Amino acid sequence: MKTLKLVLVALVFSFTTHINAQTADEIINTYFENIGGLENLKKIEGMKMTAKVNNGGMEIPLEIYQFKDGKQLTIINFQGKELKQGVFDGETLWGHNFMTMKAEKNDAETTANMKLNSNDFPDPFIDYKEKGYNVELLGNETIDGTETFKIKLTKEPITVDGVEEADVSFYFFDVDNFVPIAVQTEIKSGQGKGMTLEITFSDYQEVEGLYFPFSMTRGVKGQPRSPITMTSIELNPVVDDAEFEFPEETETVPTDDNKN
Amino acid sequence: MKHLLFIMAMCIGLLPIYTNAQDSKPIIAKDLFGDLSARHIGPALMSGRINDMEVHPTNPRIIYAGTAGGGVWKSNNAGTTFNPIFDDYCQSIGAVEIDPNNPDKVIYVGTGETWTRNSVSVGDGLYKSTDGGTNWKKLGFDKSERIANIIVNPNNSDEVYVAVLGALWSDSDERGVYKSLDAGATWSKVLYVDESTGCADLAMDPNNPDILYASMWEFRRTGWSFNSGGDKSALYKSIDGGKSWNKIHNGFPEGKLGRLAIAVAPSDSNILYTVIEAEKDSKKGLYRSDDAGKSWKQLNNDFGLTVRPFYFSRIVVDPRNPDVVVKGGLSGSISRDGGKTFKGLGRMHADIHDIVFDINDSDRMYVGTDGGVYRSWNGGTTMEIVENLPLSQFYHISVDNEEPYNIYGGLQDNGSWYGPSTSSGGINARDWNSIGGGDGFRVLRHPTKKIIYSEMQGAANVWRYDVENKLIKTVQPLPKKGHAKLRFNWNPPMAVSEHQPDRFYMGSQFLHKSEDMGDTWTIISPDLTTNDKSKQNQEGSGGLSMDNSGAENHTTIFTIAESPFDENVIWVGTDDGNVQVTTNGGKTWTNTIANVSGVPANTWVYHIEASVHDKATAYAVFEGHTTGDMTPYTYKTTDYGKTWTNIISDDVVGFVRNIQEDYVNPDLLYLGTEFGLYITLNGGKSWSKFTKNMPSVAVHFIDLQKRTNDLVMGTHGRGIIIIDDISPLREISPEIMSKKVHFFTSKPTVMKDQSGFSGNFGAETQFVGRNPSKAAQIKYLLPKRHTFGKMTLEIQDMDGKKIASLGPGKSKGINIVNWNYTIKQPKVAKGKTFSFGGFTSPRVKAGIYKAVLTKGKETFEHNFELVYDEHSGLSSQDRELKYDTTMKMYNMTQDLAYLVYELDAVLDVVTNKNKKIVASLNDLKETLVITTGDNYVGSAEPQLREKMADLYSKIANSYDKPSNAELDNLSIIEERFNKAKTDFAKLKKKARLKDFKIKTFEEFLKD
Repeated sequence: MKTLKLVLVALVFSFTTHINAQTADEIINTYFENIGGLENLKKIEGMKMTAKVNNGGMEIPLEIYQFKDGKQLTIINFQGKELKQGVFDGETLWGHNFMTMKAEKNDAETTANMKLNSNDFPDPFIDYKEKGYNVELLGNETIDGTETFKIKLTKEPITVDGVEEADVSFYFFDVDNFVPIAVQTEIKSGQGKGMTLEITFSDYQEVEGLYFPFSMTRGVKGQPRSPITMTSIELNPVVDDAEFEFPEETETVPTDDNKN
Repeated sequence: MKHLLFIMAMCIGLLPIYTNAQDSKPIIAKDLFGDLSARHIGPALMSGRINDMEVHPTNPRIIYAGTAGGGVWKSNNAGTTFNPIFDDYCQSIGAVEIDPNNPDKVIYVGTGETWTRNSVSVGDGLYKSTDGGTNWKKLGFDKSERIANIIVNPNNSDEVYVAVLGALWSDSDERGVYKSLDAGATWSKVLYVDESTGCADLAMDPNNPDILYASMWEFRRTGWSFNSGGDKSALYKSIDGGKSWNKIHNGFPEGKLGRLAIAVAPSDSNILYTVIEAEKDSKKGLYRSDDAGKSWKQLNNDFGLTVRPFYFSRIVVDPRNPDVVVKGGLSGSISRDGGKTFKGLGRMHADIHDIVFDINDSDRMYVGTDGGVYRSWNGGTTMEIVENLPLSQFYHISVDNEEPYNIYGGLQDNGSWYGPSTSSGGINARDWNSIGGGDGFRVLRHPTKKIIYSEMQGAANVWRYDVENKLIKTVQPLPKKGHAKLRFNWNPPMAVSEHQPDRFYMGSQFLHKSEDMGDTWTIISPDLTTNDKSKQNQEGSGGLSMDNSGAENHTTIFTIAESPFDENVIWVGTDDGNVQVTTNGGKTWTNTIANVSGVPANTWVYHIEASVHDKATAYAVFEGHTTGDMTPYTYKTTDYGKTWTNIISDDVVGFVRNIQEDYVNPDLLYLGTEFGLYITLNGGKSWSKFTKNMPSVAVHFIDLQKRTNDLVMGTHGRGIIIIDDISPLREISPEIMSKKVHFFTSKPTVMKDQSGFSGNFGAETQFVGRNPSKAAQIKYLLPKRHTFGKMTLEIQDMDGKKIASLGPGKSKGINIVNWNYTIKQPKVAKGKTFSFGGFTSPRVKAGIYKAVLTKGKETFEHNFELVYDEHSGLSSQDRELKYDTTMKMYNMTQDLAYLVYELDAVLDVVTNKNKKIVASLNDLKETLVITTGDNYVGSAEPQLREKMADLYSKIANSYDKPSNAELDNLSIIEERFNKAKTDFAKLKKKARLKDFKIKTFEEFLKD
C-alpha cells in the first residue's frame, strides 16, 4: 500500500516538474537527488567498472578504474595479456603500445588536458561553480525519441594543437527522471576533428544506494555506435599506487617542470 | 531506498498512462524513427555549387564554405577537409560572416543563394551562432529568400548590417539594407528602393565603419524568362552608418544598369572596384575609383569580367595589395595591375562564384565554384580540389535491381553518373561512373538490359549507353514533318515501362513513345501544354545581358508516369499546370487540372506518381516557387483524376518536389520537400520530418528499391542519401505501440561470403560513403526509452543455448541491433605476444535463431533466419565440412590455451624443486607459444599456438570449404598437438604434484 502511494506521488511529481519551467540548477539538483544524493556522491573515493565492448564480433573485456584524485586506468585483456590504456597518476598519462606492449607516454598537450579533468570525479556537475565551470540550460531537445533538457557545460579551456579552445559539452537530461541520457562534444583532434562525438547512457542501476548507467554507446553523431556494457561497478576499490606509475625503461633526461 | 522506489515508480508508473494516451492521440512518427538513420554516399568527386567563402580573421586554419544547396561547412585544417555545421536548417546559403571581434564564437549565416540561376533554391532567414557553430538561433528575415552579405562592425559587435537581395520570382518589400544596433535582436531598414530591387552587394570601409557601399539591383525571374537591370539599379554610398545614401555614378555608363559588384581595397580604402552590367556591351565591365567613389574609370570589359552578371558578380581585392583584383566568372580572372589587364585563374571546375585570400599569405587562395572548393598555394595559378565535400546537386535519381543495386542520376552542371549502393571499404570517388555530359538530369536504366538512358539540358542529347559493350548513341526525338517545333524543358522528362522493356517515353510538348529504345519515335498525344506563346520567347530572356541558355524553356511536359497495372494508363504533368491522363495508350487525353482545387492556375506539375496499389490512383505534386508561391501542394486521386484530394498537413514546411509511395503499405508515403524529407504513416493526415542524420536539404527525387526496401533520395546539395530498409515503418500502428516490445518481421539474412579489397588510398582526405550493414539485424520497437534497470539481448539457438550476447538499443521507437552471425572468438593460450589468428570469430550455421530480449524481469523472444550466400556455390556437405573443421580448430585452440594454463600452473608449483622438470616444461612451452619478441617486426618464430590459430583463421575467414592443402596442414598441427599433450602428461606425472588444484576447463573458459 505504501508503494502504491509512492507511485502515485511520484507520478504527480513527475508531471508537475514537467510543466514547470526548470532552471539548470534545479535540473542538476534533481538529478543528484534522483541518483542517490549529492552528499553520497561526494563520498565516493573511486570506482571500478568491469565492462565489455563488442568490436565486430570480437568481445573485448575492460576494467576501468577512476579515482577522486584524478588517477585513472583502463585494463584491456587480449588473449590473457593485460594492456593498460589511459593510465594517469595525476601527472603522467601513459599507455601500452600495441606493437611492443611497452609503456609509452602521451603527448604533453593531451596530458595537460587530462589533468584539467582531475576534479571531475565522479561527476563534473558536482560543485561546478566552485570549479569555475559554467552551466547553461539551452532548452529542450529530443534524443532517442525522448524529450530532454539540453544543458551546456563549459569547463576550463583546453589546448588543441597549440591553440587554446573552450571545453564545451552538451548534456541531455531526460525530462521525466532528470538523468543524463546523452552527452555530445566536438571531437578536438585526430581524423574526426570537427565532428560530434555522442555518448548515450542507459540501464541506470543501483550500486550501494547510488545509480550509475550500466550501458553506454559511443560514436560519431549520426553514425552507427558501439555499445559498452558494464558487468559490474564497484565503489572505492583498493588499487596499489604502483599500478598507475609509468614504468621507466629508458634513461630519460628528467624534465624540468618549471620550464613550462 | 526512497530513490529506488521513486525511480521504479517512474518506470512502471508512466507506461500505462502512456499507452492509454495512444487511443486519442495520433502516432508521432518523429519520435519513433529511432535507429533508422540516413547514410550519405555522396559522390563528392564533382562536389557542388558554392555561394560564399569566408575566412576566420585571426586563425588561418579555419575556413567556412557557404554552399548553394548543402549548408555551411567548416574546415579546421586550412581547407584540407570540411565538416558540415548547419544540417538542421535551410541548406541554401547566401552569406557567412564571422564577428571579427569574437571570431571563435559568433557566426552569422544568411540563407538563400544569391547567384540567381534558374535552379536556385530559397532561403528562410538569418541565423546566428554564439558558440562557434554548434547551436544556432534564427534572427528573423523569414521572407528574405536571399541574403547577399552580412557585415559586423569590426569595432562594435552590436552593429550589424545585412544586405537582403530578396525574392527572385515575386515582388517583396523585405529587401535592401538592414541595420541592427543590438547584435541582431532588432533591425531597421536603412536602404530600400522598391519591391523588385534588392541589395546585391554591400561593402564597408575597413578604416571607417560608418562608410558603406551598397549595390541595388532590379531583377526578376519567371518560369520562362529572366530580367536583369532597370532604372532602379544603382550604386549607393553612405558616410553616416546608413542614415543617408547617395548614388555614386560619376563616370558610370548612361541608361539602365544591371547587377553591380562592389569591393573596397582593404589596404587602401580610397580604391574601389565595381563591375557594371550596362545597356551597351562597350560600357560593361570593371570600373575603378581612386577617390572613394567620387569618380569612376572603366578599365576592362573582357568576357571574363562581363559574363553572366547574375551568376558571377564577385570582386575580391588582395588584403595586402590594392592592385591585385580577382573576379568570379566562367573560369575566374585575376589582375595584378590594378584591374587594367586580367588572366584566367588556374584550371578548375567552371563557374567561379567567390574567392578568399588567406589572412597571412596571398599566395594561398580558396575558390568556390559550381564544382566545389579549390585551394591554391601559388596565387591562383594551380588549383587543387577539396575532396571531401559531398555537395552534389541531383535533379533526379533512379535505381536498378543489380546486387548491389546501383543509383543513377543527373547533376547541376556536372553531368550524369551511376554508382553502387555498397562497395569494398565504403563508396569511394572511384566507384562512380560518368554516363553523360553537360548538365545531367534524368537517368534511367533499361528494365532488363545493361543499357542506360541519360540526357543533357533541353534533350539536346539523349544518350543510350550500352554499358557492357561500351557503345553510345544519341536517341532524342527529332523534329518531324507535320509537327510543330519541339519544346523540351531544360530538365526533360523520360520514362521506361514495366510492361514493355524496350519502351521509352520522352516528353516535349507532346508525349513521344518508342518501342525500340529510342530508334523510332511516335507522337502519341496532342500538345498537352497550354501552349501559351507569351511564355515561349526565350530569345528575349536575360535583360541587359542576353541569357538564352535554354534554362527558361517553358510550356513543356515535365513528368511522365505509366501505370504499373496497365500500360494504357499514362499520366503527364506540364510545367504550365496541366495534369493529363490517357486510359487508352494515348488515343484520347483528359486534362484533369480543373478538378484540382486550391492550387493557383498554371502551377508547375513537378511530379506524378502512378500508384502501385490501384490502377485509378495517382499522386500529383504541384510546385509554385517560380511564381513566388512556396506553399506545399500534393494531391491524390483514386478515380483517374475526376477528383483530387489534398494530402498535405500543416506539418509540412517548404514546397514539395517529389512523392514516393510505399510498395506495401498504401498509407505510408515519403515526401521530398525543399527543406528535407517528410514521412506519413496515415496517408497524409499528418507528416513527420525525418531528421536522423538527414539534413534539411532539398530532396528532388525519391526512389524505393524493391528488393532491399531502401529509400534512396537524390538531393540538390548533399548528394545521394539512403535510409536502409524502411520496412519497419510499415508495421507501426497504435496496436504495436501498446506492446511492451514489438519485434519487426525480417527477411532471412544472407551471411555474405562476397568481399573485396578496398585499397584505402586517399581516404584520409576524400569523402567515403558509408556502406549498409551486412549483419543480421534484430529490429524492435520500444514504446518508451529504456533508461533504468537492466536490459540485455542474447542470441540463442532453438534449444535455448546462448550463442552470443549483444548490446541492445534502448531508444524509444525503432531499435536496430546488428549481429554479424559469429560466436565469441576462442580463448587463446597466453604467450608473450598476440596470436592474430586467434582474434577471428567463427560464423554460426545457417538456420533459425532466437533473439531473447530481457527487460527487467520480463523476456521477449523473436525468431529469425540466417541463410548461406549462394554466390560461393558451396554444397551443404561443403558447408558441413567447413563448419566442422573450423569448430574443430576453434576447440583445439581453446584446448591448447588450457594446456598452457595448466603447464604454467605446474611450473608455479615445481619451481626450484626439480630443475630438470622445470627445464623440460619450459622447453615444451617454448614449442607451444611465443615467449619472446613483440607484435611487429620484433616478432619471434611462430610456435604451435600461432600455427594453429593462423590455420583456424584462414579456414574460418575463407568463403570456401577447407582445401586439401589446409587439411594436410591441419593433420600436422593435430599431430604436434597430440604429441605435446602426451609430453605434458608425462612431465606432469614426473612432477608428482600433491594437492594440485587448478580451474576446470569450463571455469577457465569463463574466466
